Amino acid sequence: MNPKFIAAMSWYYGFSTLKRSYSYVIVSLMMPLTILFIVYIISHGAIIEYAVLGGFIIMIASNSLSSAGDAAFMRLQLRIQDLFVDTSITPMDYMLALTISYAAFALPGLAIFAVMGIVLKMFTILNVLLLIAILIMLLVSSSAISFIISSRVKHVRNVWGISAIISTLLTMIPPTFYPYTYLPKIALYILALSPATPAAVLAQGYFGLAPKMLSMLGVLMAEVVIYMVIARYFVRWRES
Amino acid sequence: MLNVICGDSMIRIKGLKKDYGKVHALKGIDLTLKGRITAIIGRNGAGKTTLMRILSTQLMPTEGTAEIDGHDVIKDTGWLRKTIVSIPQEASPISVLTPYEQIKLYLIAKGMDARSASERTKRALKVMSMSDAANMPADELSGGMKRKVFVAMALAYNSAITFMDEPTTGLDPISRLEVWSAIKKLNGSVIITTHYMEEAQDLADDVVMVESGKVLEHGSVKDLLSKFNGKIRIESTSRRGAYNVGGLGISYVGVGKADAYLKKGYTARQITLEDLFIVNGVYLES
Repeated sequence: MNPKFIAAMSWYYGFSTLKRSYSYVIVSLMMPLTILFIVYIISHGAIIEYAVLGGFIIMIASNSLSSAGDAAFMRLQLRIQDLFVDTSITPMDYMLALTISYAAFALPGLAIFAVMGIVLKMFTILNVLLLIAILIMLLVSSSAISFIISSRVKHVRNVWGISAIISTLLTMIPPTFYPYTYLPKIALYILALSPATPAAVLAQGYFGLAPKMLSMLGVLMAEVVIYMVIARYFVRWRES
Repeated sequence: MLNVICGDSMIRIKGLKKDYGKVHALKGIDLTLKGRITAIIGRNGAGKTTLMRILSTQLMPTEGTAEIDGHDVIKDTGWLRKTIVSIPQEASPISVLTPYEQIKLYLIAKGMDARSASERTKRALKVMSMSDAANMPADELSGGMKRKVFVAMALAYNSAITFMDEPTTGLDPISRLEVWSAIKKLNGSVIITTHYMEEAQDLADDVVMVESGKVLEHGSVKDLLSKFNGKIRIESTSRRGAYNVGGLGISYVGVGKADAYLKKGYTARQITLEDLFIVNGVYLES
């Protein structure tokens, strides 16, 4: 492992991008804030806490999943991944560095939702710590999915479309902006394939917005491991 | 950490084959390379990039072996990846990063600490006359400057062996000259692929000509062109000539006969590596 590389790449690619290309930040904020607004209007503010909590989850999940486009673009078009093959870093270093970089893109959005959560008096020390743990697991598992997708993409022309579709499917349909209890059990289990689902279910439970469903903790932890293993297997480091 | 330059490196390749399904990209390459700058030349799809990617541990061969200074490219990837620098074909810097950040990041990935990486990056950018552009995001750089970022990377790392896959493809003539000049500043051995014959001629002291996955010719520019000694290239748009290439009739005649051909409306050109390519290419197709 090369922690210096992970830190440097995260700083340069993540935080420098925030500084130099702020449109990224605005774009990533648009969807969760728009949905928050719609949820507020339709529910007359009744389920606004769900939408705020969903905002945290969607910021992490959608940024991580849409990073599949970036990862594929860097491999296919910029050839940056090939450049790093001939260094001391491992595929895992590279994936972790990009994962943390994408987390940086989500920070401004997380800050906005944190302010909303404070205004709505949603936070306790315990549920904040649990939320952070959930978001870290969500970040790793979603980034792993984005690497799996990016490694399967063969042509640059498909990169952005595929990553946008996957990102929307895996973040908007899961119960990120509505109570998970609205869903039939079977639908919940199918949607649990997206890490955003167990993350949202756990967060709603810990914040007292819905009944706790601790089995989803096992699901989320398993997804972290399984998706990382699959991503490591599929990442095209040295091609055969 | 400091990598060590040990003079010209030696690359030995034996029976190297690479298949992509039914496509045989390399059909058994046998080579020993020990030049300071080696150019692997050939048409698009000849197998240059495949050979380069195998040598730089990015691609597994189907069959055969290759060693760099005695280190097997299949088994000794740890040593090789610390030692070599490999710049992929059409590599481009990440648009939001500056040349300084891009090079420093690469050196850190190579295992250097941040301070050494920073010092070396600044020094390399200065040598490459890129100090003014050091802190500009890459998407504000010209095509030539973008390529020079990668040459600066190799220079900063002071690599014993640098592989550059088509380093000037798509660049304008001035940018190409800038990149050539930068490549000449690199220490250690440099292996480039190119389909620009004048690039090979200007830069390389050792030339490998690859066609359809096989080595057709290998030697110094002087040796390779010796078969044309005393000859000149004559071109005719009427397709009359020993070789027909792209609607041109091409012949090779003694320098003394050039005047006579010129009076008949033919065009005369000096012999270059391109002629070796034409001659071999035509033989292959006939």
